[in-house]
Amino acid sequence: MKLGAYRYWHETVLAALIAALMIGAAVVDPRFVSWKTQIALSSHVWELALLAVPMTAIIITAGIDLSVGSAMALSAVVLGLAYQAGANAWLAAACGIVAGALCGTFNGLAVAWLRVHPLIVTLATLAAFRGVAEGISLGRPISGFPASFTVLGLGTIAGVPIAGVIVALIATAAGLALARTPSGLSLYAIGHNPAASRFSGLPVARLTVALYALSGTCAGLAAAIYVARRNTAKADLGTGLELDVITAVVLGGTSIFGGSGRIIGTVLGVLAIHETREFVGWHWEHEELNAIVVGVLLIAAVLLNRLFTRPTR
Amino acid sequence: MLLETRDLGKSYGTVRALIGVSVSILAGEVHALIGENGAGKSTFINLLAGVVHPSSGSISIGGEVLEPGSVRASEAAGIAVIHQESTAFQHLDALDNLFVGREPRRWGCVLDRPRMRAEGRRLLAGLGETLQEGRPLAELSVAQRQMVAIARALSVRCRLLVLDEPTASLSARECGALFAAIRRLTAAGVAVLYVSHRLEEILALADRVTVLRDGSHVETRAAAGLSKDDLIRSMVGREVQEHGHGAPSAPGAVRLAVRSLSRSPCFHEISFELRAGEIIGLAGLVGAGRSEVAAAVFGADRPDAGSVLVDGRALPPGDVRAAIAAGVALVPEDRQHLGLVLPMTVGENLVLAVLASLARGGVRRMSAEAAVAAEQMKAMAIKADSPAVPVRTLSGGNQQKVAIGKWLAAHPRVLILDEPTRGIDVGARAEIYRLIRSLAAGGLATLVISSDLQEVLGLSHRILVMREGRISGELSRQDATQERILALAMPQEAAVAGVSP
Repeated sequence: MKLGAYRYWHETVLAALIAALMIGAAVVDPRFVSWKTQIALSSHVWELALLAVPMTAIIITAGIDLSVGSAMALSAVVLGLAYQAGANAWLAAACGIVAGALCGTFNGLAVAWLRVHPLIVTLATLAAFRGVAEGISLGRPISGFPASFTVLGLGTIAGVPIAGVIVALIATAAGLALARTPSGLSLYAIGHNPAASRFSGLPVARLTVALYALSGTCAGLAAAIYVARRNTAKADLGTGLELDVITAVVLGGTSIFGGSGRIIGTVLGVLAIHETREFVGWHWEHEELNAIVVGVLLIAAVLLNRLFTRPTR
Repeated sequence: MLLETRDLGKSYGTVRALIGVSVSILAGEVHALIGENGAGKSTFINLLAGVVHPSSGSISIGGEVLEPGSVRASEAAGIAVIHQESTAFQHLDALDNLFVGREPRRWGCVLDRPRMRAEGRRLLAGLGETLQEGRPLAELSVAQRQMVAIARALSVRCRLLVLDEPTASLSARECGALFAAIRRLTAAGVAVLYVSHRLEEILALADRVTVLRDGSHVETRAAAGLSKDDLIRSMVGREVQEHGHGAPSAPGAVRLAVRSLSRSPCFHEISFELRAGEIIGLAGLVGAGRSEVAAAVFGADRPDAGSVLVDGRALPPGDVRAAIAAGVALVPEDRQHLGLVLPMTVGENLVLAVLASLARGGVRRMSAEAAVAAEQMKAMAIKADSPAVPVRTLSGGNQQKVAIGKWLAAHPRVLILDEPTRGIDVGARAEIYRLIRSLAAGGLATLVISSDLQEVLGLSHRILVMREGRISGELSRQDATQERILALAMPQEAAVAGVSP
């Protein structure tokens, strides 16, 4: 068997990188790798992970969704306003998720039916959703959610954060859907060649709308988790999050040109960014180092990957 | 003797793409290189161009041994290769393309436009072309782009011009212009290595013919006195009956009815009926609107007026999925961009059109997909190591078989084939013809669009001819001849006057 036949080089390299990082961290500061610390730090990652799952599928179709951070903020504000208006916190969360789904559907319709490039569409809605969130909340934070709701962001089941369980279920479902459903394979085909996909009778427009709607829905869910954890909903939350999400997906081996990528890679990409960032923050206590470290990590992973998968043709 | 290869060979791992080929090419001759897809023509060209490094043997040009595997050395020695799909800059105009990378300059930095223009005009005039300045290359016709590529090759001292399938997308008139240009070049002493599947062209144009088969050199002969059958026999190593006339089966019920279909400015008032078991050939010149009619029937384009009925039921306009659901299948002319998803595997491409119907409860059944892929690979005799290799790695003929097999897996009721054998070698071509006939005998209603008159004559039960967006006539198989089809296809002289470029 030739080396080139092994399909998981990228994931393997990334896992090795993470392992090296954790071993290094354990040498420098053993407390960092303890279960307790890791669980405590994990609360920072769930929104990123949740948004990275639909982003993987979108980038597989050669699309992009820059509006996820703003859609998340808009969802959070809708959640907060609904709660303030007297709705039960869970009902309010449902309203927020619906708002996110509508944001995503709007993106999807513009991409699929108006045929505007997703970069343009979501660059516009990146600004627009945030603007609506600021406008309807008047920039004021909303807090005072009951403990029965904040459990979504803070609670654990058998020691595992509830948010983590939700993310794991969604990531698993998405991974299976990509690998084992007709729609999943269709997304890869669309990413490689949308015209040939249409000529093969694949429901290109329908899948595109569904995909962006799903991204918005996940943004709504991420908003609920975020609000539950911080006990506050504010229009400026999730600012710049879309770039972290895209970085994690690309780090995970999904081609920005479409046609290839896997959820398992994205999970590792999220993990690599999360652990690096948390360790830097934990050990040196310099937040500004984060961005540099993530950038270095991205370049290192891409270069290492190229070293192992140099095409033989 | 201008160029000589001695015992030239190339292996990729255990695959021997070219085995000990010794050929000489003379200055001023048109030397044709023919062989089925996979015979080693591309490898031979790539070796001459220095794109790949030979595993054995050598190439010498003008008596000097060429540095192996160096594009720069090959270029410096005067070998220029013009590929099927040119690698020019589509956004720049002809003049920029002629000189990009080595523009004449004034004072070492400023473009010398007047000199470029004069030089460009001279080069193109030598080919019988006029310079189209200011229009991006993408707006020129394929033929014009090709001329620009050839002129560019000539602007650096070119001793051997290699043309790879130059006429694949040219109209008859454009071919004529190209042949005239080739004759001027050879008269000036340039050698032309001409690679083509179109044997008539080769017999008309070539001085000598080299035949490759399975990587080996079969023979090199003077073209004079050879017949098409001689060439085919030599390429295939056996007799191929290319145009057998099976008896027309009794046509069944009307499967496809097209009524007054129009889409401005491509085609107008197109009406015809296609019956079960019938093969209709749709002939005409490139640009007559044939592919556009196919796209509208298939729902890929929305027509302005008219209707398409399958089994008596009207299809919603501009809806590919509805057309497919009704049993219409289209194997498009541009298989690389529309027919196939090249980076995906053979297996995935073969099931792409039936993905949803093979799934159960929204989940893909891998075993069912594998079975369909295996069945089509066998039925179509697709040569691939396994269904898991990317379609991109297959030869043109095998890619086309995948593009057809993908639709046969969907069991269509109406099959539209647009230029089904373009760029495909004789062996695979004969297989595809056999397949089309047997499918029709099995009751499939088939529409074949083709610019190859012999193909149309050999396959069709009835022939429709299109001219400038309209059906200009219908011929039965008995009445049809190449001359009659051409007479219906050629634009009326009155209409042409003043329009030609």
